[in-house]
Amino acid sequence: MTPRKDLLDIASLSNEEIEFVLANAAPFKDLFRRSVKKVPPLRGRTVLTLFYEPSTRTRSSFEVAASRLSADVTHFDVEFSSVVKGESILDTVETLEAMQLDYIVVRHKQAGIPNLIARNTAASVINAGDGWHAHPTQALLDAFTAREVLEDLRGRRALIVGDIQHSRVARSTSLIFRRLGMEVAYLAPGSLMPRQIPDEITTFGNWQDAFDWKPDIVYLLRVQSERLDEPFFPSATEYHNNFGLTDARLKVLNDRKLWLMHPGPVNRGVEITDAGMNYERSLINQQVENGIAVRMSVLYWLRPGAAPVA
Amino acid sequence: MKRLYKNAQIASADSPKLPSADVLVEGDRIIGVAASISDASDAEVIDCTGRILLPALFDIHVHAREPGQEQKENIASCAEAAINGGVTGFIMMPNTTPAIDNAGVVRTVLESARRARIGSSIYTAGAITKGRKGEELAGIAAMKNAGAVLLTDDGFPVDNPQVLRRAMEYARDHDLPLASHCEVKELSGKGSMHEGSVSYSLGLPGIPSISEEICIARDIRLAEFTGTHLNIQHVSTARGMDTIWRAKQRGIRVTCEIAPHHLLFNHEDIGDFDTHYKMNPPLRTKEDNAALLEGLIAGKFDVIATDHAPHTPFEKNQDFASAPFGITGLETALVSLYDRFIAKGIFGWDIIVKHYSAQPRSLFKLPTVPVQEGGVAEFIVFNPNRTTTFTREFMKSKSLNTPFLDKQLQGQIERVIYRGEELLAR
Repeated sequence: MTPRKDLLDIASLSNEEIEFVLANAAPFKDLFRRSVKKVPPLRGRTVLTLFYEPSTRTRSSFEVAASRLSADVTHFDVEFSSVVKGESILDTVETLEAMQLDYIVVRHKQAGIPNLIARNTAASVINAGDGWHAHPTQALLDAFTAREVLEDLRGRRALIVGDIQHSRVARSTSLIFRRLGMEVAYLAPGSLMPRQIPDEITTFGNWQDAFDWKPDIVYLLRVQSERLDEPFFPSATEYHNNFGLTDARLKVLNDRKLWLMHPGPVNRGVEITDAGMNYERSLINQQVENGIAVRMSVLYWLRPGAAPVA
Repeated sequence: MKRLYKNAQIASADSPKLPSADVLVEGDRIIGVAASISDASDAEVIDCTGRILLPALFDIHVHAREPGQEQKENIASCAEAAINGGVTGFIMMPNTTPAIDNAGVVRTVLESARRARIGSSIYTAGAITKGRKGEELAGIAAMKNAGAVLLTDDGFPVDNPQVLRRAMEYARDHDLPLASHCEVKELSGKGSMHEGSVSYSLGLPGIPSISEEICIARDIRLAEFTGTHLNIQHVSTARGMDTIWRAKQRGIRVTCEIAPHHLLFNHEDIGDFDTHYKMNPPLRTKEDNAALLEGLIAGKFDVIATDHAPHTPFEKNQDFASAPFGITGLETALVSLYDRFIAKGIFGWDIIVKHYSAQPRSLFKLPTVPVQEGGVAEFIVFNPNRTTTFTREFMKSKSLNTPFLDKQLQGQIERVIYRGEELLAR
């Protein structure tokens, strides 16, 4: 396996690399049951989190993962930096380059920003979510979590429900599920379903058809509250009634013993109800815990200074 | 002083055939074209064996960025870029800062243009509306009197159909063609590339084909209604082309442009967010490439025009959504079309001469420059056996935003002759 500098998306990973990251996440997770959860592989290394979009969960997850590997962790506070004064991304990167960091974890609302940064730094760049494009560590933790309950994913089915159009999670997680042998379907209102998705992904416009497809996992996406102002659907209530996991639909999950996933944070009353949050086959908290293990595995795997993969 | 271009293959708009001939130039004129000219012992002889001699090009869609955006380009650098690409005349677009939307600015840019080596062949368009805002009509008659040859808000459509109707009526009465950048802004939204399979996988907001196609249909209907000569700029979709073709067959006064990049590239070329493939209208699909190429060969397009749109490296070296639309084209158009199409036998030299030299001039009632006895000596000597590498040093434009940067292509523009004068000789 050629050493890899950056993790920018799922599409560019080989199956061997995916398996490597997933395999190493397991022993890292085992550490969490010990009283001392810290191991030394990244001692003396510096990890910087560069978040242009607010995200407490993902950022904390990376920071905990880096700390448990004994790295020094710093946060570049975009809110107070000159970025808001119009400094360009590449000016910022040049500054960071002078600090000789080893890893930069970046989140940005524009697709492709991590790719741009990766081309201009020797540090390893980890994409923590860019626009609608990719969220590779989320995909890896989703795959890890799905394997914990289903073991072999080949021939299994995942139904991803919600705002597909604006979702980097749908793009990355559907890709890794398919790479591991799963079949994937999308369920979304037509206005939030991209017109040209890969042929291998089945699409549904209502829950009944989607349930008839017999999924093993139902993966709910967060409905971004800012979308409520645009004419993608008439109202949050209408969305909930037609595409949310109502109590009646939750009963179907329960009767058929289907697993429930969600990347968090959830909108109670929109895509999920209180009862859904307490569903016994909900994997939501497990996803959070696994996120740390998978991100440790990613940091352990990447090689700062390696040649970028074209 | 005479010059004898010996043993060249002469390209014309009428036929893909390339008859061999000697071309004798004196002053600004071609004084002889014949299979063999031997009685010109006083002439400097230029051996053109194996070279194509074709009428020089004319580009009706160029962003010279003057006034106000001289960090990208100015008229002087733009003219040198044009010469470097075998283009000896062009029309400047009015999306400058301030916009070319009144007679004063028209006079200023034309005065600046006169200082270029091809100064008397540089023309300007004037904006349709003040500040290109799509609200109030610009001073159309005054701009025409000052020398504007075309009206356009290029870069933007005129959203309000009532404003466009009035502008067309005015343009018609002043005998000015009106060019439309066709786009329904609400459908394009925040899109930065074609809406399709690649915009899905890159997670970029898309510009759907219908954004362009609906506006083409609307503007043609208005042109038909008002009887105005409408030119549709940079057609990028097969459906858009078909709509225009049907209108032409019904006798509506509509003409249209094809940009080389819409023939050469498609959305898959964007790859890893490469902003050198970001332009508006966006690169569409492989199927569109094929249909547009077929349309060009079938005569559905009037002109090839580059939409030469310089931007600085700093501006283009941003994330895909933030980078500006547009690539340069003047210096690369002829060689890239040769490399991809003529060299491979996909079309002949007549397509280039017809669509990138003769018809662009005819459209604006300018004399064409065929290689013939008695005609103006304005031609290119093209060597198909040499290559061109588009390095920084090669490029005369102030900007380098082209997908061809540092690429080597087959074919080289060896000489450019403008009114008898050799402006370029490699």
